Amino acid sequence: MMDLLIKALLDGDQAQAIIQASKLREAGVGRRQIITDGVEAAMAQLDAKCTVEQFNLLEIMLCGRAATGVMKVLYPPSTPPPQTKGAVVIGALEGDVHDLGKNIFKMVLTAKGYRVVDRGKDCPVERLIDTAEQEAALAIGISGLITTVIPQVLQIKDKLVARGLGHIKVIAGGAALKQTLAQRLKVDFVAQNAFDGLHYLDQMRG
Amino acid sequence: MNSVERVKAAVAFQPPDRVPVIAQVFGHAAMLARVPLSDYIRDGELLARCQLQALQYYDYDAVFALMDVNVETEAAGSVLTYRSNQYPFVRSYALADGANPDNLSIPDPWQAGRMPELLKAARILRREVGDDVLVIGCVLGPMTLATQLLGIETTLYQAIDEPEQFARLLDFAVAVITRFGIAQIEAGAHLPIVFDPSASPEVIPASFYREWVLPRLEQIFTAFKQAGSAVNWLHTAGPVTPILPFYPQAGVELANIDFSVHPLDAMRTLPRTSLNGNIKSLSFIEATPEEIADEASRLLSLFADRGGFVLSSGCEIPPESKPENIAAMVFAARQDR
Repeated sequence: MMDLLIKALLDGDQAQAIIQASKLREAGVGRRQIITDGVEAAMAQLDAKCTVEQFNLLEIMLCGRAATGVMKVLYPPSTPPPQTKGAVVIGALEGDVHDLGKNIFKMVLTAKGYRVVDRGKDCPVERLIDTAEQEAALAIGISGLITTVIPQVLQIKDKLVARGLGHIKVIAGGAALKQTLAQRLKVDFVAQNAFDGLHYLDQMRG
Repeated sequence: MNSVERVKAAVAFQPPDRVPVIAQVFGHAAMLARVPLSDYIRDGELLARCQLQALQYYDYDAVFALMDVNVETEAAGSVLTYRSNQYPFVRSYALADGANPDNLSIPDPWQAGRMPELLKAARILRREVGDDVLVIGCVLGPMTLATQLLGIETTLYQAIDEPEQFARLLDFAVAVITRFGIAQIEAGAHLPIVFDPSASPEVIPASFYREWVLPRLEQIFTAFKQAGSAVNWLHTAGPVTPILPFYPQAGVELANIDFSVHPLDAMRTLPRTSLNGNIKSLSFIEATPEEIADEASRLLSLFADRGGFVLSSGCEIPPESKPENIAAMVFAARQDR
């Protein structure tokens, strides 16, 4: 039955994924196991398929939407949320309203057990840092489709350090930012895609 | 040869006097003229004046009557937010809240939104440069206009959940694009570039492209050719290698390749289609003129035997680019005879 859930997730079939997850629950399978052996396994398969050369947002969106649907069934608002690997604050910087990449990063991280705090698009740097401090975040993820956000990107790490938050990692992604190197952007990592960012986070946590 | 002859020769795989160089200078022309970008993209006369100044400064082979990616969607009813030195963005989409594209009317390019200003820019540019320099207009591709009418996430989900509705959306986009592009040619543009970043394989799989985008691009390029377009030029951003095999069927004569595409792969896949590219856009901000010159020389050498090449950046040259870097690219093409 777990295989059927994985297949439904990889097909991006949200309705079928929810049916399979519900059947697993009825059969007595625990929520944690459904997430580990079902949702995370599906994301791992998608991750393996999505190389830099073969990566498309549509497939990830569909799988992510199905995974989000399953999570809602497993953890309805009335139940305590699952334990997570830690918080990640994400946002598209001020002046940039392109948020598809950010939203996909959110889906991938959520499905892999991170708690994502999304500060939306057109977001000032200070707001991201304030949120990261409040949430005791592991990392801040910023997306930039346009080059004009680069001056803001360059400030983030210095501002974090100035506030004693230098341990919070900064991950940059998006069409404009991924053209360059982490040291040039003064960030900890430049992700080529959502899974690349996930790998960095997983590695960082050890 | 003048610029128009040079580009046409390169596209036809005939030997030009030198490799043409087209710098994708759009908003950068406003920066160069110290004009607010928000004025530049709303005033056709100002846009044309800035483009002509940039042409005089850099002396490359084409000018652009091009504002931003929101001209069509604004004309169709989307509401934009304008900021002083940025391109505008969509605040509310024309087809938000489940509106049906069948209920929208095709915008009249001579009346709707900023379309008349763009046509004015094309007319002025052509009047000023005649047939010496290529005047290039711009329309969005069908996938990108669809995402600009509805929002990209909603559009992609609709494609899967409601394919019939999605087909209607794409067909509406084709009607808007065709009418606007033909109006640009009538106003004086030698061609409208078709800009379709949302059709990138980074966004949609190649099979999706073949089924939904390819037949509609074919329709658009056929109409443009019939209207007198000098060259059918397609710009799809990102790693386009998986969809390059579809380009000849679409009627593409000049294919833009971004920095993420290896020129040799593109040459192998498209042996009889001319290519332009592919200096990394960001390098016009952060590299040195020497680095740009080296990259340009590398590309010129790669294409020396094959021909069918226009030297350019892989995508828009960012508005805040260093002028000396653009000049270095142009100089490299001029030196390479």
